[in-house]
Amino acid sequence: MQFDWMKIPYSLLTLFIVVNYGFLLGALIQKMGARAGRRYGIPIWQNYVDMLKNYSMRSSITHGAMFYLGPVFRLSGGVGLLLFVPTIYGSYMFSNLSFAGDLILALYFVFFGTLGMALGAGESGHPHAAIGITRGLSQVSTAELPFALAVFSVALQYQTLSVTDIVAAQQGGMMNWTLFTNPLAVAAAMLAFLGTMMRPPFDVVVAPQEIPIGPPTEYHSSYLAMMQTNRAIFPIAKIVIYMNLFFGGADSWPVFFFKVFLIYLWSAFVGVVFPRFRVEQSIRWFLIWAVPLGILSIVLV
Amino acid sequence: MVNALYLIVAALTAAFLLGFLNPARRSAAYTITLLALTFMSCVSASWVWEFAVNNAAPVDIFTAGTEPPFAINLRMGLHEAALTLLVNLTGLLSALYLKDALFALGRRGMAVLLVAVMALCGIILTRDIFNLFVFFELAVISTAGLMLFSDDSRALAAGFKYLIVSQVLSVFFLIGIIFAYHATGTLNIDGMAEASLGMKTGGSIAFFMLFIAVVAELKPFPANGWALDIYESAHPAFAAIFSAATGAAAIYATDKLLLIGGAEWLPISTGIGIVTFLAANLLALPQTNDRRLLAYSSIAQTGLILAVLGQRDILGDSAPFIAGGLLFSHAIAKAGLYWLSGLIAGRELADWAILRSRPLLIFAFVTFIAMLSGLPPFPGFYAKWELVHMLAGEGRLALLAFILIGALIEAAYLFRWFGYIIKREQTDQTIACTPFQITPILAAVVGGWALGLVWGDLSASHFGQSNLLLALPLLFALSFLLLDWLPAWVKNTLAIAGMVAFFTLTYAEYDPLRLIFAIIFLIGGAIIFLASYDAHGRRIGFYPAAMLMYAGLTMLIRATDTFGFFAAWELLTLGSYFLILRGKRSEPHALSYVIFSLGGAFLILAGFALAAQGAPQFDLTSLSQLTQPLAPWVFLLLAIGFMTKTAAIGLHIWLPGAHSEAETDVSPMVSGILLKAGLFGLMVLLMSMGKQQLYGVELTHVLLWIGALSALLGNLMAIFEEDAKRLLAYSSIGQMGYALFGLALMNHLGWLMALMFVINHYIYKSMLFLSAGGVAKRTGTRDMYKMGGLITLMPLSFIATLIGIIAVSGVPPLSGFGGRWIFYNAILTTDYRLPMIIIFFAGPIAFLYLFRLIHTIFLGQLKDEHRKLKEAPFWIILPQMIFVALLMIFAMFPGLALRRVDTYLNQFFPEGGLSWAGNTITSSYGYWNPIAIMIIVCVIFGTLFAWLLFVNRRAQKVKQFNIVFSAERPFRPETTHYAWNFFAPYRKALGFLVQPFATRFWGTLTDLLHTTADLTRRLYDGNGQSYVFHLFAFIVVVYLMRIGV
Amino acid sequence: MIYMAMATGFLLILIGFYGALTNRNLLRMIVAFTLANTGVNIVIVAIGYMHGRTAPILDAAVTASAAAARIIDPVPQALVLTAIVIGLGVTALMLAYAYKLYERKGTLDIAQYTDLKW
Repeated sequence: MQFDWMKIPYSLLTLFIVVNYGFLLGALIQKMGARAGRRYGIPIWQNYVDMLKNYSMRSSITHGAMFYLGPVFRLSGGVGLLLFVPTIYGSYMFSNLSFAGDLILALYFVFFGTLGMALGAGESGHPHAAIGITRGLSQVSTAELPFALAVFSVALQYQTLSVTDIVAAQQGGMMNWTLFTNPLAVAAAMLAFLGTMMRPPFDVVVAPQEIPIGPPTEYHSSYLAMMQTNRAIFPIAKIVIYMNLFFGGADSWPVFFFKVFLIYLWSAFVGVVFPRFRVEQSIRWFLIWAVPLGILSIVLV
Repeated sequence: MVNALYLIVAALTAAFLLGFLNPARRSAAYTITLLALTFMSCVSASWVWEFAVNNAAPVDIFTAGTEPPFAINLRMGLHEAALTLLVNLTGLLSALYLKDALFALGRRGMAVLLVAVMALCGIILTRDIFNLFVFFELAVISTAGLMLFSDDSRALAAGFKYLIVSQVLSVFFLIGIIFAYHATGTLNIDGMAEASLGMKTGGSIAFFMLFIAVVAELKPFPANGWALDIYESAHPAFAAIFSAATGAAAIYATDKLLLIGGAEWLPISTGIGIVTFLAANLLALPQTNDRRLLAYSSIAQTGLILAVLGQRDILGDSAPFIAGGLLFSHAIAKAGLYWLSGLIAGRELADWAILRSRPLLIFAFVTFIAMLSGLPPFPGFYAKWELVHMLAGEGRLALLAFILIGALIEAAYLFRWFGYIIKREQTDQTIACTPFQITPILAAVVGGWALGLVWGDLSASHFGQSNLLLALPLLFALSFLLLDWLPAWVKNTLAIAGMVAFFTLTYAEYDPLRLIFAIIFLIGGAIIFLASYDAHGRRIGFYPAAMLMYAGLTMLIRATDTFGFFAAWELLTLGSYFLILRGKRSEPHALSYVIFSLGGAFLILAGFALAAQGAPQFDLTSLSQLTQPLAPWVFLLLAIGFMTKTAAIGLHIWLPGAHSEAETDVSPMVSGILLKAGLFGLMVLLMSMGKQQLYGVELTHVLLWIGALSALLGNLMAIFEEDAKRLLAYSSIGQMGYALFGLALMNHLGWLMALMFVINHYIYKSMLFLSAGGVAKRTGTRDMYKMGGLITLMPLSFIATLIGIIAVSGVPPLSGFGGRWIFYNAILTTDYRLPMIIIFFAGPIAFLYLFRLIHTIFLGQLKDEHRKLKEAPFWIILPQMIFVALLMIFAMFPGLALRRVDTYLNQFFPEGGLSWAGNTITSSYGYWNPIAIMIIVCVIFGTLFAWLLFVNRRAQKVKQFNIVFSAERPFRPETTHYAWNFFAPYRKALGFLVQPFATRFWGTLTDLLHTTADLTRRLYDGNGQSYVFHLFAFIVVVYLMRIGV
Repeated sequence: MIYMAMATGFLLILIGFYGALTNRNLLRMIVAFTLANTGVNIVIVAIGYMHGRTAPILDAAVTASAAAARIIDPVPQALVLTAIVIGLGVTALMLAYAYKLYERKGTLDIAQYTDLKW
């Protein structure tokens, strides 16, 4: 097998850009949410401060092997997901490690981190961690469904599972985007998107107030830092998939930043407007509102 | 040769001699009786030899030196010889068994016994209608006499009821005879047949009366209350004679009589027979008294044989083979069971649990019920196969359906009984029995197996099937019966060696598709057997059962024609049933397993029979040449049959219990391996028959829906389970749903995906079952919420489970992902989109139950009572570690297993294969590089892990309760471990989907059958006069149906 | 005359059956059956009878050569003889049973002997 070793530094460069963008974007969105609630919000560099603090702290406790592995799984999931998908269309430099697999790989790798996280938090023995995970898994099982349907619809539409090919098919003007060629699929996917971004109305999983913790409960210092890093990477890695599948991809970094921001904003926008659902309510909501759209998109494509 | 007349002479002489003996000289009298019966048996046996081996012609014996019609003549042919042998041997063995009773009654009793046997021989031999009547009356009188042997005081009333009925019958018989004589001028049966009695004036009425008189001796429904009472209250040894010998004689008499009646009387015989068969089997369902249950079963079997006689017009020369197979199976088994019942003190079915103290007797019991249920390798199996094929060939489908339904009900109550024996509370008494009682039973067992050999041979020479008892895998499995005295580890080594050796000898013979199954069945089976080293002692009964299952599986993939396939199917069903039954609380689950499996097997049988259209031999590949309108029906029957094994939704209710209650090393066998038999069947079916349409519905499309629903509901049910092994069992339903879905896609990648699931499911489900079994063994419970925090105590089990759940969930980089990847590529090529949505839904649900499995067992809070637990035993861990390795290898190099099959599949689905260039697997839609994925994931993971280890190198492990929540520090693991009702919100939202509709449906169905049976059997109110009424009602109905108003 | 005999015979059979079905007393049932048996015998003889012929006994009156034309068919009569013997045996056995049953329960009512059922 021929392997181009230059891919490693290139991939690390992508990673570096995305991490920084993720920190800033996360804070920005946070701030916008605060402003919508008539609060001042955090400074834009807050994530860097947290990160520096947490990475420099040294913990002296662990709950066991899986406790260790939880954040590792989590961050590996985020990084892997980012790197299995080409970031910038038409650029060899930022095609990352997408030679390893296609869309399906990315789709399933999403769960890698979730699973590991769930295991790690589980070992802490903290009941709230387990409660948070059951809620999260329950919600994800239906929230991912419209997205999977949309992906399948798109794959059918373009007759390929290769992300690069799907982006290629959308080039040549906005009207070629999946958003306009297959609006139902996009609608379903964007509703699903709300469910996986851990924002209201679907954030009972982490429930920042009532259960002040969720899965991250027992994590601190460098464990927490790793998870926060992932918190910056993972949404973007996911948004990259959305962007590539539905919004024509990005052929340069500025376009990338812009599109990712807009897509992220969608979840934040909905989040500040709506109150929170209970888990069974959100399950029903996805089944009633989002899934039929996905089904229609598949039937009609 | 000895003149057949000596059969009668010997008995009469001996009986006469007994009269001269001093009443006190009982042993002398007994010796004379035995000698006479032995002599008679030898005479019959020599005739059987003469006809069967030397092909002698039948011999007529003329009495009074004159030929008929002026004198009575007897005939000795092959059938007569065989039947008299049966009668005489039953008499002889029963005489042995009756030793004590005969000594108590003295010479008169012995004389009556001799007369009874003589009368039955006479019924078989005679060709004269009046002579037949005389022998019948003799049989009645001697029967009434023998009833007095019983210790049961109720036998008196039963005998009297019998006499009343026989009085009525004798009136009919005599009137019939005289009118028939008047019409034809002869009493000779053949003469009457020649004169075609039915054509003469009043002839049909005359024959009607004769017919009634003889058929009523076959205890037709509903005129059979008297017979039930006799069976129930007679001495068991006499009940054996009454069932085996009297039944055989009466059937042969009917057969002779039908010669006179001709073809017009065949349908009514069939009708009476099949109604009796169905009704008696149904009425047996609610029985709790063993002998009465056997009585119903006897009546049913006789009815079945009568129905077969009624089909003589289409059965032709095969009729003796079929009727004989059924008759001998029935006679030997029933005699054996009645003899066994004499050893049991209690009369409840559950009292038979005492048999457990004697494994040999259990073996005898199994032999008998297998014979009755028509399972291979016994004569009934071959007979049933030919019968069903001929019926299907002639389009007599309703009869075929009734026969199969009745047989299923019969198997149900017989196996339920077996379940009682193996599982019910055993009283502390032991079986007291003399050699005189054991000998007949063992003789019956030997006779049963010998007849199996004979019928196999006949079937091979006449119909071109194979003799199952000569098949190497089956012989190997049966040899474990003889080795059962060895310690378990020796047998285990032998089993492993045998399976591996068989594989190495034969692996070149399989095509790539079958090779995968061969590896899973033989090598995979051997790996699971490693876990069996953990068992101590002798483990009586385990190895014959397990090896029977593996023999069946092996024969299944090696079968080329439908017969071999079906026989293998039955064998593996039987073996796995015994295996499942070994679990502690598995009695009801094993029963529902065997009923569903046999039901499925009968559908398969019907499907094969329909396909063959009467041809005795049918290659599996010829299924592809079937055309409309037959093909879709065959497809439907076979598909449903196979889906009972893969536990498709609706037919799944047996699986959770059967798989979860099985022993630790049995669960992976029946889950990881056995389920694949169903998939193999479906593959064979789909490969040869392809897409079929029924009323415009594409059947593979229906299978898609079933597969998708199984995947969804299987997964959903799994997440609400508290029991670890039940959770895994439900998950199997889901996984099999995926595989079924893949097959039903009917494209290249769909099949590849199904094969991927076959391999993966074998590996990870075996591993998870072993792991869960090991944990359950240590903790003493299977309820997950009672466990928790076991990761530090059982790290290896944890690793196996972890790897297993990652693989099941389909997350890269493990092998489950390959299945998912192929799945997505497969569905892109097909037009059916709606069922896919359901599959999509099913996917993420798997995460829920998988997380629950690992979290509630291994993570969370350790319970106080578990603090001193050790890792699971070495032999249970070892195969798990092998599976972990296998899973890793298969994840990185799926091509090892799939590449050749991929090429092989090209001949069925030329389009859409994969390209295997380098390490990248490419389809026409996407690509996937398993090694690269593995490396990338490992590098990222390893780097981060190393870093975290480095920065936290001084971290120490904290104590269990070093956590805080809700402002409290917890101190009780029970209240801190979040495990019970784990997915409560999910149940709130979607619980309505898992209402047990299927369970309720099947439950209602069985309740309905039971209630019907329970109400109907009140017909037999015990009053002798009611029985006469029943008889008259029967006569009127037959009259109306046959002759009309 | 033949028809007369036959009708009588069938009538006896029916009376016998009726008696056996309506009488619950064991002894009465047995008697009813002997009635029916007698009826059967009459029917057999009636069918075997040929008008104007003599008994099938070869003696001075009927020579062997003329027998075929002059005697009636001897077979039914032989049958009747056998049937009577058998009937006797069965009746005796039934009576013995009735006696034994009475010994056991002290009643001859057949409706009392329903221990075995269902």
